[in-house]
Amino acid sequence: MITNPYTWADWSAVLPLFIVGGVAVLVLLADLVMRKANGWVSILLGIAGLIAAAVYAAQNYEQAHNAFYGGFIQGGFAVVLQEVILISAIFSLVLFHATRRPERMGGIVALVLWATSGAMLMAGAANLMTVFLGLELLSLALYCLCALSERPTSRESGLKYLMLSSTASGFLLFGMAMLFGASGSVTIASLANAAVASNPLYWLGGGLFLVGLAFKLSLVPFHVWSPDVYEGAPLPITAFMSVVTKAGALAVFARFAYAIPASASHALLLPFFIIAGISMIAGNLGMLAQTDMKRLLAYSGIAQIGYIVAALAGTTALGVRYAIYYLVAYMFMNLGAFAVVALLSPSAQDEGSRIEAFHGLALRRPALAAVMTFFLLALAGFPPTAGFLGKILILSTNVTTGFPWLAALLIAGTAISLYAYFKVIRLMYDRHARPQESAVAPLPLAYVTMAICVALVVIMTFYPLTPSNVLPLVK
Amino acid sequence: MSLVLILLPVLAGCALFFVPRADRAISRVTGCVVAAITFFLPLLAGSDGTFAARWLSRPFTASLHWAWGGLAFWMVLLLALCTFCAILATNMQQTRTMVALLLMLEGTMMGVFMARDILAFALFWDLMLIPPFFALVGWGEHRDTAWRYLIYNFSGGLLLLLSTAAFGVLYGSTDVIGTTHQLVGQWAPWIFAGFAIAFAVKTPLFPLHTWMPATYSDTPPVMVSLVSSLQSKAGLFGFLVIGLPFFADAMGAWKWIFIIASLISLLYGAWIALVQTDAKRIVAYSSLSHLGLIILAIFSQNPIAIQGAFIYIVAHSLFSAALFLILGYIEEREDTRSLVRLGGLGKINPKLAGAFTIAALAALGLPGLAGFVGEIVILTGVFKNGYFWPALIALIPIVLASAYMLRLLQDIINGPLREDIPERRDLTWVEGLAVAPLLAALVILGVYPHAVLYAASLVGVAR
Repeated sequence: MITNPYTWADWSAVLPLFIVGGVAVLVLLADLVMRKANGWVSILLGIAGLIAAAVYAAQNYEQAHNAFYGGFIQGGFAVVLQEVILISAIFSLVLFHATRRPERMGGIVALVLWATSGAMLMAGAANLMTVFLGLELLSLALYCLCALSERPTSRESGLKYLMLSSTASGFLLFGMAMLFGASGSVTIASLANAAVASNPLYWLGGGLFLVGLAFKLSLVPFHVWSPDVYEGAPLPITAFMSVVTKAGALAVFARFAYAIPASASHALLLPFFIIAGISMIAGNLGMLAQTDMKRLLAYSGIAQIGYIVAALAGTTALGVRYAIYYLVAYMFMNLGAFAVVALLSPSAQDEGSRIEAFHGLALRRPALAAVMTFFLLALAGFPPTAGFLGKILILSTNVTTGFPWLAALLIAGTAISLYAYFKVIRLMYDRHARPQESAVAPLPLAYVTMAICVALVVIMTFYPLTPSNVLPLVK
Repeated sequence: MSLVLILLPVLAGCALFFVPRADRAISRVTGCVVAAITFFLPLLAGSDGTFAARWLSRPFTASLHWAWGGLAFWMVLLLALCTFCAILATNMQQTRTMVALLLMLEGTMMGVFMARDILAFALFWDLMLIPPFFALVGWGEHRDTAWRYLIYNFSGGLLLLLSTAAFGVLYGSTDVIGTTHQLVGQWAPWIFAGFAIAFAVKTPLFPLHTWMPATYSDTPPVMVSLVSSLQSKAGLFGFLVIGLPFFADAMGAWKWIFIIASLISLLYGAWIALVQTDAKRIVAYSSLSHLGLIILAIFSQNPIAIQGAFIYIVAHSLFSAALFLILGYIEEREDTRSLVRLGGLGKINPKLAGAFTIAALAALGLPGLAGFVGEIVILTGVFKNGYFWPALIALIPIVLASAYMLRLLQDIINGPLREDIPERRDLTWVEGLAVAPLLAALVILGVYPHAVLYAASLVGVAR
C-alpha cells in the first residue's frame, strides 16, 4: 500500500493556488456554456475565485508551514506577497471590465488566473524547482496575454517578451543548475551553508541566478524589454504585469538574499544593489523622454523597483518589511494611475495612453485630472501619500545599514522623477489646451477602484502597517 | 485643536471647488471666515492646542504632533492674518480657484509652523509647494517658472527628508521640536547641511535664490503676498526650531559659509533692486536682501541678534505682504508694473498712495515702523558678538534699501501723471480693508515692539 507522504497541512498551504487555477478551468467551462454573456460572467467568476483564494491564504498568515519538504513555505512573507498578487489580479480584471472587452473574455480571464497562480507559487517558493515552475507558469501565460490586443504593437510586445524573458529564464536555469552543483540540494535553505560558499560554482551560479532575476525585475541594464512590452500589451495586462512579475521576482530575490551566508552575502549582493541604484537614476531619466503613458509608467516602475530592492540592502529584518510596505504602496499608486488611463481609453485600437490624451484634461474632466495628479504625486513621493513615507523608511534603513550612497541615489532619482511626473501634471492643467472631445466611459466600477486606491494610499501614510512576522524566509 | 487649523482651511479649499466657478462672493466670504477662525481660535483657546498621535515606532519614533505654543503661535497668527488679507484682496478671473489655493496653502503652512515632529514638518514642507505651483501653472506668464519653483524647492525638500531620516536614526526620535539637545558626532554637520540647504533654498539665500525673482513676479499678487511673507519664513523658522536647538555646533562649523552667503545676498539683492524696472521684482530682490540679514543674525548665534531676527521675520512678513498686495492693486488698475510706464498715481489715488508709502517706509526701515526695530536689534546683536565687519557690511544694503524703496515710491506715486495709462480709481473700501490690518500691525509693532520681543525671547528658551 502506498502511503501518502504529504499531510493536509501541505495541501492547505498551496490550496489558494489550486483555487485560482481551478477557477480558471471553471471560467473556461462557463465560457463554453454562456457565450452570449459578453464576458462579464467570466470576469465575475474570476474575481470570485481570486477573492476566495485571498481569504483562504490570509488564514495561513500566522502559521508558517514548510510544505512539501521545503518546496513551498506558506505563512508571513509568502502570504503578504500572495495577497499583493491577488489584489493586482482583481484590479486587472476590474480594468478589463472597465475598458472595452475583447471578444473571447473567458480565455483571457483563465490566463490571468493561471499567471496569478504562477506568481503565487513564486511568492512561497523555497526551492529552486518551485521557483522555476512558478516563473514559467507566470511567464507562459503572460506571453499570450501580451499578444492579445488587435494592435500591431501587441504582437511585437508578445514576441519581444517571449524572446527576452526566455533568455532570462535561461540564465536563471543555468544559475540554478550551478547552485545545485555547488550545494547538492535544490532547496534555497541549503545555500545558507557557509562551507558551500567557498565553491567557485556557487559564485558563478549565484551570479547567473541574480542576472536572471534582474531581468525579471527589469533592473538596469536588463530593463530594455519592459517599456516595449508594457506599451504593446493590453492596458489591464500592463497594470497586472507591472506589479505581479515584480512581486514574484522580488519574493525569490528576498528568499535568496536572506538565505545566503553573511560571508558571501556582501560580495554577491553588492552588484545587485549597485544596479538597483543605477535603476533609480536611469529609470527616472528614461521617463523624461516618454510620450506614452504606459511607457512612462514602465520607466517609473524600473525606478520604483530600484527603491524596493534598495530597502533590502543590508538584508535586515526591517528592510524586508519596508520593501513590502513600499511594494504595497507602489501597487496602489500604480494601479490607480492605470485605472485613470483605462478610463480615458476610447477604443481597443486606441488605448488613449498617448500623453496628448491628457492635454487639458483638467478643463474637461477636473475630477479625473485631480485623481491622476494625486497618483503621480504619490509616485514622486510627495506627502501625504504612502510614497513619501515609504521613501523615508527606505532612506532610514539605508542610512542604518551602511548604504548611504543608495540613499543619496534615491534622493537624486526622485528629484529627476519629479520633472517627468510634473510634465504630465502640467499638461493636464494647461489652460491653453485645444478642446478635444473626451470619451470617458461611464463606468462606476473604475471610479470605485480609483477611490479605493486613493483612500488606501493616504491611509497607509498615517497607519504604516508593516507586517512583522515575515522572517525567517527559509528554514 | 491644532488639527483644526490645518484641516479646516484645506477642506474648505477642497469644498470651494464645488462652488460655481463664476461665484466670487461665496468663495471670498468662506475664505475670509475660515481665515478669521484660524486667527481667533489660537487667541481664544487658552491652550496650546496640542494634537499628538504615534506615527512610527520603527526605525525611529515619530508622531503626528502639532501645537501652537511658543514661536509657532506668532507664525500662526501672522499666517492667518496674511491669508485673511490676501483672500479679501482677491479679485480676479477665477476668484474661486485662487481662494481655494490660498486656503490650501494656509492649511499646509499651518502644518509646517505648528509641527512638533521633524517628519511632520517635512511632510508639510513638501505639501506647501503644491498650491503655489498650481497658481503658477494657472496664471504664470512664463512656462518655466512653475518648474523652477518646484524643482528647486522639492529638491530641497528631498534633502530635508534625507536629513530627517538620518536625524531619526541617530537620535531615535523625530518628535523633538520645542526641546533642545545638541547633536554631536561626525555625522551631525552633514545632517545639518541637508537641513540647511533645504532652508536656504526656501528662504532664499544666495546662490540658491535663482528660482525666486521669476516666481515672485509671475505668481498672482495675492498668492505671492503669502509666499513671500510666510512660505519663505518657513526656512528661517526651520533654522530657529531645528538648527539652533540641535545643531548649534554644526552651525558654528559652517558659520562663515552662511555669513558670507548672507552678506552677498544682502548686497546683491539690494544692488539688483536698485536697477530693476519691474516693481514686483524690486520687492522680490529686496526680500532677498532683507532675509539675508535674518540669516546673518541667526548664524551669529547671538541671543540679541536672534531676537532681532524674529522681530524682523514678523515685520518682513507684514510689509512684504502689504507691498505685494498694493502692487497687485496697481497692476490691476494700470495693466503694467513697469516703473517706466507708471507715474503720478498719488495725485488721484491718495488712499493707495498712503498705504503704499507706509509699507515702503516700513521696508526701508524708518524708525517708528516695525522694520526698524528688527534691523537695529539685529545689528546690535551682530556687533556685540564681535562681528565688526559683517555688521558694517550689513549697514550698506540698509542704506541702499532707502534708495530703492524711495525710487519705487517716487516712480509710481509721485512724478508727472502719465497720460497713456487707463482707468484710475482709488482703493475701494474692501481693498483698503485688506491692507489696513497689515499696516496697522506695522505701526503698532514699530511703536510698541515688546509684544513680539517677548515672543522673541522664547527663542533663547528654545535653545
